[in-house]
Amino acid sequence: MNDLVHVLTAFHDATHCDAGVWTQPSTGDGPPSLDAATANAPMPSRFPALSEGEVHVQSPAGTVVIAGVPGPRRAWLALGPCPERDVELQSFMAFLLPVVTQYLQSALEVEHAANELAERYEEINLLYTISEILGRTVALDEATKTILSEVSETVGARRASVLVHDRTTNTLKAVAALGVDLATVPSINVDDPCSVSARVFRTQHPMLAEPDQMICPEEAGYRRGAMLSVPIMWTAPAPRGAEPLGVVNLSDRRSGQPFTAGDQKLIAAIATQIGTAIQNTRLVRASVEQQRLAHEMQLAHDLQMKLLPNNAIVAPHATVAARVVPAESVGGDFYNLFRLGHGKTGVMIGDVSGHGYQAALIMALAMSAAAIHSQATGDPGEMLHALMSTLREELAVTEMFISAFYAAIDPANNELRYSNTGHPHAFLLAEGKDFERLAASDPPIGMDERRPATARRDWRAGADLLVLFTDGVSDARNRAGERLGEERVLDEIRKHRDATPAVILERVFEVLDAHITTTTRRDDLTIVLLRT
Amino acid sequence: MSFSIKKEGEVVVVDVEGQLIVGNRQELKQKVLDELERGEKKFLIDFSQTGYIDSSGLGVLVSLSKKIREQGGELRLANLNDDLKTLFELTKLDTLFQIADTRERALQSF
Repeated sequence: MNDLVHVLTAFHDATHCDAGVWTQPSTGDGPPSLDAATANAPMPSRFPALSEGEVHVQSPAGTVVIAGVPGPRRAWLALGPCPERDVELQSFMAFLLPVVTQYLQSALEVEHAANELAERYEEINLLYTISEILGRTVALDEATKTILSEVSETVGARRASVLVHDRTTNTLKAVAALGVDLATVPSINVDDPCSVSARVFRTQHPMLAEPDQMICPEEAGYRRGAMLSVPIMWTAPAPRGAEPLGVVNLSDRRSGQPFTAGDQKLIAAIATQIGTAIQNTRLVRASVEQQRLAHEMQLAHDLQMKLLPNNAIVAPHATVAARVVPAESVGGDFYNLFRLGHGKTGVMIGDVSGHGYQAALIMALAMSAAAIHSQATGDPGEMLHALMSTLREELAVTEMFISAFYAAIDPANNELRYSNTGHPHAFLLAEGKDFERLAASDPPIGMDERRPATARRDWRAGADLLVLFTDGVSDARNRAGERLGEERVLDEIRKHRDATPAVILERVFEVLDAHITTTTRRDDLTIVLLRT
Repeated sequence: MSFSIKKEGEVVVVDVEGQLIVGNRQELKQKVLDELERGEKKFLIDFSQTGYIDSSGLGVLVSLSKKIREQGGELRLANLNDDLKTLFELTKLDTLFQIADTRERALQSF
């Protein structure tokens, strides 16, 4: 009011008359108080209504003229008394009243603008606070609870709730509540015809439920009278677009004032923030789960590689070169080697149908069971039959099966005995002869109940080569999608037939690598070469 | 990759277009099991438009064959291309299925 004092002082300097401006307090009906005045302005004895115009009142120091100031605020301008007589107080009033009116009007506008600005600051502050809350926490429940109390504080709501959509039950579940115990807030079916929250979720539009509107029992906990209900939206990348994730409800306003369009806008902005938080939490959860799975797969892969035998365990009776290259982190190919006593060696190659964790578990089971059964019986067909019995349950439940080849080689008796259940690529490269396929006599383990047959071939130590590989090798594709083919593998081995198994293995993998180059491997690659 | 099912006389005929692999085997299985549930007994799967069957696809064929047999029904396969025929022979799966060269012969064999 300093400026107004300057105006009145200037008036006093010019006229030597005192002047004062009085205003009614904005709240209540108390007596008018002095806003600004010159040194000796007296308190008027009465304050006339605006319609009365100017009123002359007498004070001990002389006449005072007082008039109401037009405008939204009740105010009065009092002029006088003046030391000189015959002063035209009316003409002074006619001059000064518009000035004071204009001044008070401007002051009121400034005050409104300041209040408005303060509110905006409060809202901006709220948005910053929410960003901070969301930035430092991934625990959604905790974040929504904090956000809800901040928002309620700003808009002056004593009751509030945040409901989030649960896709599995198609209900809205309360994750935060104010003015009511969260545990007692029931879930609301999305199709509920009565619930305001359910309707806002379905229509994806905010809604102001009037105080006289019926309150559904599910919402009674966090609603008193009018309730502002705003959908929590999240905008997914095209073509999915915006989708509703939940609802924010605010009710029971401290001021008793209705919610405004400004409140609705503010809550919509905050709901978007909560939506992003919900989505982030879901993504973080999914990513943690994926990391856990990847970790488990890595463990399974390590386990699988550890289970593969050390090729030296059959030395010096047999020289073996072997390699398994899994397609994914965990594959279904495996091989195993056994010392059978009296200089005999057992060798097995297998392919569990399918990939991944389950295939790796079946493979581990097959590896360990085969180790036991190979010691228990000298007959390869009986060994695979025993393996079949061990794995029957597991294979039936998982609908998997195992193609397997098992041979027991007895160099002292020049004999190789084998059994083949569905394994396509097993060959004997005997000295002076070409490859002979040691064909399957029975379907893969898990497909049939019959006892697999055992066959016999002559075996010459130091000369004959046993060649086993899985279909991942012959089916390996190049960039044009062409298979490598069984014949290319056999050709390469034929070329180097007099080399050691280790050298032959290197040559075959060179051919394989040249064929595959950077193409993604679709299947495991396993090759086992054995000479005694 | 899709499966079309039609009825020829008393036989449910399934055509497999493209591949029978890990990604679509459940679809084939469900379609055949639905028919079995309805009381159908005779099934023929025609592979004339099939280029590739992976090991999980073979697994589903074996599992379907068992389930159909349990219900007193029969499953026949027809029109395997040369690669698939070799695969069935090398893995001895040909001993588990009745395989016909043509659709007509398969239908006559029921």
